[in-house]
Amino acid sequence: MATPPTETRRDLDSAATSHRGDRIFNRGITVAAFTALLVLAGIAIFLGVAAVEAITTQGWSFLFTTEWKVDQGDEPVAGIWGMLYGSVLLSVIGLVIAVPVSLLLSVFIVFLAPRRLGRVMTNVIDLMAAIPSIILGLWAFYLLSPPAEQWQFLLNKYLGWIPIFQNDSGNFNGTPFIAGFVLAIMMIPIITSVSREVLGRTPPELINAAEALGCSLWTMLRHVALPYGRGGIVGGIMLGLGRALGETIAIFFVLKLVYDINWYKIIESEGGSVATLIVATFGEVSGPYELNLLLAAGFFLFVGTLAVNVIANLIVQKTGRSER
Amino acid sequence: MTQVLDREQIAEWSAQQPQRPWTKKPARLQARIAVAALLPAALVALLFMYTEIPGPVLLVAVYFPLQLLAAGIAAVATKGRQGAADSVIIVLSVGATLFSFIILTSVLGSLIVRGLEAVWGEDGFRSSFLFQNNVYINPSTPLEYGGLGHAVIGTLMIVLIASLIAVPIGIATAIYITEVRGRAVPYVRFFVQAMSGIPSIVAGLFILTVLIVSGAMNQSAFAGGLAYAILMLPTVARTAEEVLRLIPEDLRTGALALGSTRARVVLRVVLPAAKTGVITAIILGVARVIGETAPLLLTSLKSDQTILNPLTDPIAALPTYIFDNVALPYPGAVTRAWGAALVLMILVLILFTIARILGRDRLNRFR
Repeated sequence: MATPPTETRRDLDSAATSHRGDRIFNRGITVAAFTALLVLAGIAIFLGVAAVEAITTQGWSFLFTTEWKVDQGDEPVAGIWGMLYGSVLLSVIGLVIAVPVSLLLSVFIVFLAPRRLGRVMTNVIDLMAAIPSIILGLWAFYLLSPPAEQWQFLLNKYLGWIPIFQNDSGNFNGTPFIAGFVLAIMMIPIITSVSREVLGRTPPELINAAEALGCSLWTMLRHVALPYGRGGIVGGIMLGLGRALGETIAIFFVLKLVYDINWYKIIESEGGSVATLIVATFGEVSGPYELNLLLAAGFFLFVGTLAVNVIANLIVQKTGRSER
Repeated sequence: MTQVLDREQIAEWSAQQPQRPWTKKPARLQARIAVAALLPAALVALLFMYTEIPGPVLLVAVYFPLQLLAAGIAAVATKGRQGAADSVIIVLSVGATLFSFIILTSVLGSLIVRGLEAVWGEDGFRSSFLFQNNVYINPSTPLEYGGLGHAVIGTLMIVLIASLIAVPIGIATAIYITEVRGRAVPYVRFFVQAMSGIPSIVAGLFILTVLIVSGAMNQSAFAGGLAYAILMLPTVARTAEEVLRLIPEDLRTGALALGSTRARVVLRVVLPAAKTGVITAIILGVARVIGETAPLLLTSLKSDQTILNPLTDPIAALPTYIFDNVALPYPGAVTRAWGAALVLMILVLILFTIARILGRDRLNRFR
């Protein structure tokens, strides 16, 4: 019996390097795979240059004061502290609403709902994530704002003695509360889809064991499901936060931008947001210097969201969830 | 005797749903739950009809406490003290579910009601709204004239340009991670993830500085498409990666054993096998960007004419068309915005549904 010629057998691992076409293919693919890095570096460099210029001409007060007097007078003055703080304040309001709602929603889908209803709710949540932000903005401007003004009026009337519910102007339009509420609607699907998956992967043995030991639903959640999924849930919350920090259009029509810092009055008609500042100012930008300031503001927004997202992804990855 | 486990057997076992005994409820308990759920609602409805207390106050200050109390009593009666916390969780999570359901219904419902005003007038279905452009139209022009045809063409053009750029690069990134498996895989995945967190406005600013401020080109469909491509790439890459992962390793080794080169394995075996999944990845990418407004406000501006040249002129798109009309003090313009929003949402829904159907197909295939 003749043995087949062995010299044509190919080592599978080195196959990639043994053929010229393959080498070209591999190299092409590798170059394309680094596009993501290229884009990130490009953004950091191009916007970073603008940020350096803004800091050198404005000093550190660009970051730590709140002012925007660029087109008037001889000496342009700009500071984005109020806007940076405003972005964070809106996101915190959004988180305060979105986190409990999302967690309860995923508890409902995973542990309470009949399977079919659970599947329907999963689709409903995914659909919520698919709504474009401009449509949410349109809805918020015409359908959410009018009743929300009513709610805020009542809040102020009955709970006005609490500092965060103070309102001196009597105007309940364009408040951080409304904008934060819209951000919450954007965050709910993100947080829910992560926490639903994490809670759904709680080992059934653990749940059954808890049941057998006489745990109620609450005790089971408190001592089994939530500790088990904690990492994933925190990661999901941070992903939602990253989304909220950079959101522009959904809150553009429902937030009144004021170049003044609003520390805590969430139902006062003044707020700030870096992303919204950029869109609002870009339309009437006075010249290259002001445009440069906007690019610098964009740089700090980029750095902030990037940090939040990287941390979020590391947390989610550590808990072994499939990245999505 | 050793038991031989075949694949079908394992697949059958893993397809079995885990039992969830905690969801079963006896009839008496169900009756109790029904009473606890309906009684407070009925009471509050009566109060709402016969007193002057405003609705939101009634809801927050009367209904919620009452509902919690009723559920608490029912739970304590059934399970003892332990049940109290459960009842709170149950009431709140049903509340959270209703809340999100109401929000979604409100958004979609308002879109349909207000959007149809633009498309459907006294004169019947206005095809003009879908096909005409905005030349000679000002905010107070009656709705019979003019439409968003130019914006639809603009959106399609921008999305097409973005896809032509982002889809090959995205799929190549996925191929690098799953097929080439170079040394840099963890870093590439990290960068793609980091890229998915770029805010859309920052993508717009980046293209603005690189292409427009530098004087390389005008605001145009191409610039808008590039900004969209930045947002689309991570979605395509991650979804495609997940799909390629599902392709059985046997297919690859089989093809290699037959003497095929690596490149052919990818192009002739792996990608065709993952065809529907790759299409899903593309569709999800398109759905991700099609409603993005902020980058277009910086990179493609707007236009009232139908622009067919993607390189030189500012161009209209559906999101920017909505943006321009939303806050105008003319009811006609606002109705146009709602009409455009309805068209945009329908586009998104179509993409969403196709992705769902293909996705289901994909999952069943290699189980």
